[in-house]
Amino acid sequence: MEIYLNTPIKEVISKFPKIGEILEEYEIGCVPCSVGSCLLKDIIEIHNLSEEEEREVMARISKVIYPDRVIPIPKVERKTKTRTGEIKYSPPMKKLVDEHVLIKRWITLIPQVLELLNVESPEDLRIISEGADFIRSYADKFHHAKEEDILFKYFDENLDVLRTMLKDHTKARSHVKALIEAVEKKDKKGIVEHLNAYRELLTEHIKKEDEILYPWMDRNLSVKEVGELFSKFNEVDEISGNGVTERCKAFVVKVEEKIQTPKKEVRP
Amino acid sequence: MREFQGCPGSRTVDFREKEAQTEAPAAKVQSQLRQWPIQLHLVSPAASYYQGADVLLTADCVAYALGNYHNDYLKGKSLAIACPKLDEGQNLYIEKIKSWFEDAKINTLTVLIMQVPCCMGLVQLAKQALESSNRKVPLKAVVVGLQGQILSEDWI
Repeated sequence: MEIYLNTPIKEVISKFPKIGEILEEYEIGCVPCSVGSCLLKDIIEIHNLSEEEEREVMARISKVIYPDRVIPIPKVERKTKTRTGEIKYSPPMKKLVDEHVLIKRWITLIPQVLELLNVESPEDLRIISEGADFIRSYADKFHHAKEEDILFKYFDENLDVLRTMLKDHTKARSHVKALIEAVEKKDKKGIVEHLNAYRELLTEHIKKEDEILYPWMDRNLSVKEVGELFSKFNEVDEISGNGVTERCKAFVVKVEEKIQTPKKEVRP
Repeated sequence: MREFQGCPGSRTVDFREKEAQTEAPAAKVQSQLRQWPIQLHLVSPAASYYQGADVLLTADCVAYALGNYHNDYLKGKSLAIACPKLDEGQNLYIEKIKSWFEDAKINTLTVLIMQVPCCMGLVQLAKQALESSNRKVPLKAVVVGLQGQILSEDWI
């Protein structure tokens, strides 16, 4: 069993697809993950399962791997406490989660924007271009930069969980680049393909960050580091945040009004 | 009068049975205190040890209940102690805490309180000070049980 605990999850799932289904039952979404290099033992810790859930999931996994044998189930060593209920973020993590809310408002609008898209309409193309600007200015330069330039520096960037997030950022950037090229060519197929791909990627990415990455980081940051992060994020907000945030909020409100979407509250 | 009656902050509870079951650590515990004074009325927010510091505001009773207070909480932090139930002049406390945020530009404030309801007053003082402060700082509340167990530890 130890050998599988130290095996990348993608390999484990490709050998035993049933394990992917089991993990999904515990809201551990490794199956659609594009990287899958996290080790099985790290997944148990990063997702912060309760001890009871851990015993249960490990028993089920070992039954899949060794259906005819009863084997001792190793306990995954943890550096941090197991979860005790709803997620409570530290103030700097809460800032990042709150920034996700505006990003989610835009990506929720994308299917309707694409449905109404007429590439011969300058107004429609302007919305797509402004949407790309939203992604580049707010989601990437402002929000992802806080993660890449500040937050991730507090952790070992070779950790699989961080490499997965960085790969998502790179993929998102390539979709936006392709989106802008498609707008210039009035290529409807390209616009639809890349904006939809961005939406799918970011929806999953934000969920992973809100529910797994940030809580795991919070469990590993010291009080001192939380204070430092809060000050550094505040500096970024003061230097570049206000103008960008206001402009991007105005864009989302404009698109919401244009397609007459009821403004549902998006929960972090 | 029976035990376990009246105000939870001052009712009589006897833990002597626990004493027989647990052993004290073999080695002497090194003090992590790195300043004087420590009482909130006596300290000055302008003191060098508060500047940019991670500050611990501890209710008076906590250090007696929490066995590993020095190593688990006090280490690396600057301190003030207070009792939200018995101390007078608590408006001055709010001003001092606010001055930590605005003038001493502390990095974080952790408030350690006992589980008894009156102790929550210390967290409220810190929250009031933070709300009135122009500079925001991460504020954490740690609640300690009567037998030294950590009941909760949350950023506010």
